[in-house]
Amino acid sequence: MSAYAKPVEILIDELGRLPGIGPKSAQRIAFHLLKVDRVDAQRLADAITVMKDTVSFCDRCFNIAEGANCEICIDPKRDDSVICVVEEPKDIAAIEKTGAFRGRYHVLQGAINMLEGIGPEQLKIKELALRIAAEDISEVILCTNPNIEGETTAAFIATKILAPFQINVTRLASGLPVGGDLEYADELTLGRALEGRQAVR
Amino acid sequence: MRLSKIWLNDFRSYDELELSLGDGLTAVLGPNGVGKTNLMEAIGLLATLKSFRGAPTESMIRRGADRAIVRAEGERDGREVLIELELAKGRTRVQVNRQKLARSRDLLGALRVTVFAPDDLSLVKDGPSVRREYLDDLIVALDPRADQLLSDFERVVRQRNALLKAAPQRVDEMTRSTLDVWDMQFASLGERVLEARYAVLTELMPLVVDSYERLSASAAVVVATYRPSWGDQSLAAALEDVRETDFRRRVSTLGPHRDDVVLGLNGLASRTEASQGEQRTLALGLRLAGHRLIADRIGDPPLLLLDDVLSELDPDRATALLATLPPGQTVISSASGLPPATVPEQILRYDGSTFQQDAAI
Ligand SMILES: [Zn+2]
Repeated sequence: MSAYAKPVEILIDELGRLPGIGPKSAQRIAFHLLKVDRVDAQRLADAITVMKDTVSFCDRCFNIAEGANCEICIDPKRDDSVICVVEEPKDIAAIEKTGAFRGRYHVLQGAINMLEGIGPEQLKIKELALRIAAEDISEVILCTNPNIEGETTAAFIATKILAPFQINVTRLASGLPVGGDLEYADELTLGRALEGRQAVR
Repeated sequence: MRLSKIWLNDFRSYDELELSLGDGLTAVLGPNGVGKTNLMEAIGLLATLKSFRGAPTESMIRRGADRAIVRAEGERDGREVLIELELAKGRTRVQVNRQKLARSRDLLGALRVTVFAPDDLSLVKDGPSVRREYLDDLIVALDPRADQLLSDFERVVRQRNALLKAAPQRVDEMTRSTLDVWDMQFASLGERVLEARYAVLTELMPLVVDSYERLSASAAVVVATYRPSWGDQSLAAALEDVRETDFRRRVSTLGPHRDDVVLGLNGLASRTEASQGEQRTLALGLRLAGHRLIADRIGDPPLLLLDDVLSELDPDRATALLATLPPGQTVISSASGLPPATVPEQILRYDGSTFQQDAAI
């Protein structure tokens, strides 16, 4: 099986671990990198290490952050009493575009998906419970994706995590394209779904 | 919707094929093994986005090609419609009138088909899954939005089973509370699936009886009974009762994905006690009843695909079938020719390398 030089094999192996990249693509990318100028390859390597050195996840909400906290968490003008729970940082971008929300966020970093081995313990759900116990929060909006995994995650948080707390728990109004991702909804629809959010208990 | 033209590229055995269909009956003639069923499969795909032979997408792409194209031109409510499917590994892209659909399933309902195929006999003879699929296909043909419900439920079953498989030997609290939430989804979607199946079966029943009697030219007592895989209680309560069993067996042992439709003929279980001829007539009756139900409800009969079924029937039943079919666009394939009374509008004949339209009839 050892058809290529060892370093090439190691690179193919590393690339193949990335999401959405199968063995064929990993091979293609590796051979491409073998052909490009050293400076170009170095630029890619630098981009990865610089990102890893300077950017990570916010200690409080698990959004992408340069430093300990993200831009939204350090913004003093935002409403501390409302938390919008999303699956991924990209969902924050989608909601910010609507301009319909001025509170804080909490990023779960995924959704419950047993087919991919992701249970509640693999998500930032425990951290959400800790925040709600520690911060002065009056409402949690569950903004997980309008698909089976997102709905199940929202139901888990509402019934298993938030039940002991005296707070309002709301879910986006229906009207979002069912089965899809939050980021595919247009701003107007998503904004309306946020404003029309409904109590789940 | 009526189809007038079909183009295939790199689909199964065809690298390139262009065909015209008549408004009424089109016959596809040629010996076995030259690709008549492939052609029928392509037409079925335009309606349901899946192969009626249950084939995975990859197997419909010609060997050596990386994608297959199925394109069809037709007319609906006096307007031209162009449907294009691009099949590649793991995904299907759909365009209607050159506009890409956000989700492929938005195509469902644009074109409806009823397929009669020799292996329809499995509807009566095989296990419960073919009968559930028969009902589910009808539900979607009548209401395309139900496709979302059915695929959501199927996904919840897979998720629940994955959780049961991954559960530790001594089941912990976290696994139990995660299962609680999947069970809520399972029960609420499952009850809706059940309701949809009962509703369609109730509407279908008189048509099954009538179709059977017409095909067999005799009176018969045909009964189709939906048999859930659990008792009288709600699905939520049943799931709770069976929880420890499910943990032990590591699979969802009850639910709409385990139900059956029991077919009775003159007081006997048709699966085990009817003759081969009766079974074939009953299977045909089920297909025909579904076709008539859609034609009644939608007001436009589905395109009929009769894939080499006439050869399986004795001449009386073949004639009875053709006489009972509601008028509409029909494609018949045959290796042995057509019954004498049938006059197709269009004949596509295999000429040794491809299908050619007969010059003039
Ligand atoms: Zn933050």
